[in-house]
Amino acid sequence: MSIYLRNIIRFILLILIQVLLLNKIPLRWWSHPEGFPAYTPFIYPLFLLLLPLSAPVSFLLLSGFVLGFTIDTFMNTGGIHAFACVFMAFVRTQVLTALMPKRLSEYANSAPNFKSMGRTPFLTYAAILLFIHHVVYYLLEIWSLSSLGYTFIKIGVTLVTSMLFVLLYALLFSNSINKAYYD
Amino acid sequence: MQGVDITNSSNAVAAFFYKKQNDVVYYFQLRRLNDSLLQENARLHNQLASSSHIDTLRDTVSRVLMAARDTSRTNGRDTTKATYAGPAETVKYALYHYTPARVINNSISNDRINFITINRGKDNGIEPGMAVVTNSGIVGRVEQVSQHYATVASVLSDRRVSAMLSDGTFGTIIWEPGSPDYVYMEKVPTAIKVKKGDTIFTTGYATFPGNIMIGKVARVDTVKSSNEKTLKIALSTNFRNLQYVYVVKDKIGEERVRLEANTRARSEDRQNNTP
Repeated sequence: MSIYLRNIIRFILLILIQVLLLNKIPLRWWSHPEGFPAYTPFIYPLFLLLLPLSAPVSFLLLSGFVLGFTIDTFMNTGGIHAFACVFMAFVRTQVLTALMPKRLSEYANSAPNFKSMGRTPFLTYAAILLFIHHVVYYLLEIWSLSSLGYTFIKIGVTLVTSMLFVLLYALLFSNSINKAYYD
Repeated sequence: MQGVDITNSSNAVAAFFYKKQNDVVYYFQLRRLNDSLLQENARLHNQLASSSHIDTLRDTVSRVLMAARDTSRTNGRDTTKATYAGPAETVKYALYHYTPARVINNSISNDRINFITINRGKDNGIEPGMAVVTNSGIVGRVEQVSQHYATVASVLSDRRVSAMLSDGTFGTIIWEPGSPDYVYMEKVPTAIKVKKGDTIFTTGYATFPGNIMIGKVARVDTVKSSNEKTLKIALSTNFRNLQYVYVVKDKIGEERVRLEANTRARSEDRQNNTP
C-alpha cells in the first residue's frame, strides 16, 4: 500500500474512532462532583505521530491544521484542537531528533512505530507529544489559572487514558507483532 | 463559535456522521425511551385531567360577552341580559409551541460550553435563541441552525439560567466544570428558608418557559462573609442519556424581546442625556 493511501485511510479511521466512539465515553463514564471530572480521551493526534519520519515541517504543520480543524468541526470547539495540533506538529521534529540516533532525513519512507524506533522510545515519543497536546488543549479550553488543580487532574487522567488507547492502536496495527507471531 | 457557520456540528458533513451513528445506537435505547415516554404520557394525562374540560393546547375562537337589550319581550319591562353577540376574537391559550427533536450528538466533558446537536433545523421552524427542554427538565438554548440540524448550547456551559425557588425567590443558575449532574444557585439571601430536597423551577423571565423543573437542592452552603447562601442543585435532566428533547417556540416572544430592548435603550438614553 502506498504511503499516501495508508495515511489517508488512517486519517479517516482515527477521526471516526475519535468522534463516534471515544467522544461517547464520558456519557457513560464515572465522574464525581468533588473534583473528578468527566473527560474525553484523545486518540486522533496519533495521525500526526505516525506520519513518516522524513516528512517536512511545513507538511506537518499543514496536516496538523487540517486534522485539528476537522475535529473542531465535529466537537464544536471552534479552533482549540487546531491550535493544539499545529503546536504539536511544530514540536514533533525536535522530539524525534532528540530520540533518534541518526538524522531524520536518513530514514526514507519509514514511519515512527515499534519496529523503526523500539518500544520504549516510541512510547516516550508518544507520551511527550500527547502531553504537550493535552496541556495546550486544556489550558486553552479552561482558560483560567484559578482552577489549576482541576486543570492538572484533567490533563493527568486524560493523558493516561489517551496513552492506553494509543498503546492499543499501536499493538493492533503494528507489523512487528504480526511478524514475530508468524516467525 | 462566534457565528462561524461551517465549523460546528450542525453542518452537513458532521451531522451526517452523527445521524448515521445515532441511527445505529438508537435501537439499543428503545426500551428506556419507551419507559420515559409512558411516564410522560401519564404526567400529561394527569395535567389534562386537572385542568378538566379546557383544552389549553389549542387556540380557540370565542365571542366577547356583551350586554344586549332584549326587545322581544312585550310586557313593558326592559330586560337587559348578556348574550354572546360581540365580535369574534381568538383567545390565545397556547403561548408555546413544542417541536420534538432527536439528539444526534451530545457532549458533557467540555469545560466551557457543551453542545448538543439535534435533527431539526430551519425547515422545521427552529431559530437561534429558542429554549430546549426535555420531559424531566431543562436542556439549553439553540445556538446555530442549518437547514436540517441545529446545535444547542446546553445548561452545562457558561450560559446562565434564570431560576426560582418554590416561594418565588429568584436568582441565576450557573454551571461549574467538573460534573454534568450539578449546577449552583448563588447569592440567595440567608433570610430565605431553603432546605435539602426543595425543588427549583425556571422563572419564564428569559429563554425558558416558566415553572419547568430544574432540579432539587442537594446542599445548602452559607457564605458567612457576604451573608448569602449558595445552593448546590442536582439537575433533574440526565444529560448522560438525552434522547428526545422539545424545542420551545415562544409565539409572542419576539414582541416581548422587542419591548424589553426598547425599554432598555430608552432608559440608557435617559441616563446618557442627564448631565
